Amino acid sequence: MQAFQDDLLKFEGLGAQVLGVSADDLETHKRFSAELGLRFPLISDSDGKLAGLYGKGRITFLIDSQGVIRLIQPGFPKNEEILAEIRKLEKKP
Amino acid sequence: MKTLVWTFVLMVMVLAFLPSQSVGLTIGEKAPLFEASSTQGTIRLSDFQGKKVVVLAFYIKDFTPG
Repeated sequence: MQAFQDDLLKFEGLGAQVLGVSADDLETHKRFSAELGLRFPLISDSDGKLAGLYGKGRITFLIDSQGVIRLIQPGFPKNEEILAEIRKLEKKP
Repeated sequence: MKTLVWTFVLMVMVLAFLPSQSVGLTIGEKAPLFEASSTQGTIRLSDFQGKKVVVLAFYIKDFTPG
């Protein structure tokens, strides 16, 4: 999540909203956010509802403003790849 | 011989279906809507539609790298 915070201005500059999700509870999320200085929200998926909808494990989804999935990135997030895809979306009318 | 052919066909079918099952969602598909609590209040995916691109990053655990 540190990497997203480092690049947050780039994501915000492109009008993108970053959301982190893990099974940790809100209390742990708040401590983690404070420690890393995260300015984007961390979702608590303690009941596994989101993981059930999207898939288990480390995976990043890019969802366009129409709600359509544009990129699925398993493993550690690769910010440059995500940012490039957002720029591509912007160019489309 | 017939059993062998059918075993082969069955194996191919199983292998063909395995990857799609493990990923589930595909590019071009509508992202499943959700409502969940976050460090900044309740988040609804529908709130961003028509407004913002969303980067939804699932990770394993707080206080671990990544």
